[in-house]
Amino acid sequence: MTEAVFRETSAQPRTESVPLSHLSLELGHLHMEDLREGPDRLRRHFEAVRPWIDAARAGVAALTGGRTLRLSTCFLIDDYFTRFSTPAELVPMLLSAAGEADLTIDYLARESGCAVTEDVHLAESVMRRLVESPPPGSNGFRPPVSRTGWLTNGQRTPPQRTSAAMTATSWKPPSETGAVRHSIHMDVELWDDADDHRTWSCPFLAAVWQLARLGLLRDNGRPVPKPAPWNGEGFPDDWDDLPPLLRLTPSAAPFTAYFTCTVLPTRFLPVEHAVRVILDQIHVDSAALGQITERSAREGIHVPVQIADRASYVFPPGL
Amino acid sequence: MDATGETPRHVLTCGEVRTGLLPTRHCLDGRDAARLLALRTDEQVRVSERPNLHARSPDVLTGVDCRLPTANDAKIRAIGTVAARAVLTEGRVLQATAYFSAPAAGLDQRQPWGYYLVRPGVLVPLGRLPEQAVAAGFLARDRSAVPSGELGLGSIAEGLLGQLSRHPLLDHDVPFKSRRTRLRWAALPVQDSADASIERFTLDDDGLRTIELRLPQSTEPAAVAGLCEDLALHDWLLTTVVQKLDGIRMGAAEGAAVMNVVRPLVDHLLHLWMPSARVDRTLSPLWEVLETEPGFTRQWQTLVQRIRDQLTLQAIAAPAEASTAP
Repeated sequence: MTEAVFRETSAQPRTESVPLSHLSLELGHLHMEDLREGPDRLRRHFEAVRPWIDAARAGVAALTGGRTLRLSTCFLIDDYFTRFSTPAELVPMLLSAAGEADLTIDYLARESGCAVTEDVHLAESVMRRLVESPPPGSNGFRPPVSRTGWLTNGQRTPPQRTSAAMTATSWKPPSETGAVRHSIHMDVELWDDADDHRTWSCPFLAAVWQLARLGLLRDNGRPVPKPAPWNGEGFPDDWDDLPPLLRLTPSAAPFTAYFTCTVLPTRFLPVEHAVRVILDQIHVDSAALGQITERSAREGIHVPVQIADRASYVFPPGL
Repeated sequence: MDATGETPRHVLTCGEVRTGLLPTRHCLDGRDAARLLALRTDEQVRVSERPNLHARSPDVLTGVDCRLPTANDAKIRAIGTVAARAVLTEGRVLQATAYFSAPAAGLDQRQPWGYYLVRPGVLVPLGRLPEQAVAAGFLARDRSAVPSGELGLGSIAEGLLGQLSRHPLLDHDVPFKSRRTRLRWAALPVQDSADASIERFTLDDDGLRTIELRLPQSTEPAAVAGLCEDLALHDWLLTTVVQKLDGIRMGAAEGAAVMNVVRPLVDHLLHLWMPSARVDRTLSPLWEVLETEPGFTRQWQTLVQRIRDQLTLQAIAAPAEASTAP
């Protein structure tokens, strides 16, 4: 079909593409309690992480078909649930501990940035893109997750009735949709509301973080979050003054990537299971997804169609 | 190519459009229309001002895994997402559409949900899709007869209208009463590269309209939805104006009573007639078919002329009444 002669930009939006690394490697995700333990705790962390970083690097190199590996590293600081110290004090300590283990942090991110960044309500946008996996029999009548704040990977136990007449009703187990023989049912709390303020849950923000690293977030076609350059001169005294996503290494490979790999202590396993349940039910921007499909095909790299399968994890001993 | 890297081939596209007056006193301007239809925070409402003010929400998806209606009661299960969107024309007429398309066949087992999410607005059948039987079943189902557990496109569209009608921008003080219409459509591929055609357009007296289409397989489902929204809008305009004019007994009614009916039509509806304003170029010839028979625009022009005649008569009568007043 021929191009239309008349065009209104407000009627035909465009989706910008993002640069892509092969792998976005997260060197750790520490809470303020961990950081409070000081430089020794950080040094132990990076030493335990180090061998697995090499393994992840080697693993993804095999997928790139002999091309130069494009890999960027990142580190996420939790400033959303608790706050401790200042960036001026903490970030240099973090960078030097990583340096001692011969690791470079290319991008530094704040967890608050997964909720709101550059005035864009990222978590809210992602929430509106949740499309729940329908249990068999769903024909279009279901309370949307936006009303309940809970997301499941299957069907919940029906509510128990306590009236005497109903005592004969037997308990029905919950079920996982598409379970392999036996169910592993999960019900994830995405947020809670108190005093007109919504607090997003850790798994929900972690899901937003995965989508950001996978280059799948847009705000009216514009990629978000955008890495801010660092002037190399130190860090602010307030967490709010630190850009939500900071590029510490000027020559770093792109922040966004075809795949993510995250090195985490095993205690985060339930969180990451929840992240998978969430990622499995997010309808990402089709144009953004299409751009990645097209580019990876041109590079001869097979990127899994399902978003959740693009994220991988290492849970090493000793973390 | 779509987000999955495949070129989708659909053998069936079905949808239902619900059309009605926006439940508020004054029509919305472009900015408020965009606020009303902002179903997402990260995706703009598409607002177009030429040749008329038209705002369209982003598509939102609903996951389903259920039986599809069939004319021969064959059991066919499909899994995937139904797309729904809302359209506001001239800030006055609100429409909600729920639609899906389906390939000729799917795998024998349900896939992980992510497989369906990268195919927005597509329902994948388990096994082969009897597309003729589903199209016929879909068009034949009356709302009261939808068996439980069968796909309810109408309820998805209705749910979207319900969600929008709770928006604080709306005061629910309508300028005149009117009824919503439902238009259900099913499109099958054309045989041997024939042109797009309307096979049947049926008006039921309970507000349900059904359209059966034959379209080239390359037709985008969203373009079909756009055509059917346009047909539904104009059918609703005709239906509403006819009902209003039928409600007054011309000649017998008091001048003031006539004006009470006619005036809101002039204020709110008469300027909305603009067939095929945004219909995909490949589909716009279908409008011409309806212009020949039954002749949508011909009927509209007659109605508009009747309204203008009434206004003229009232204008002539008014000074006479004024002079006879005590």
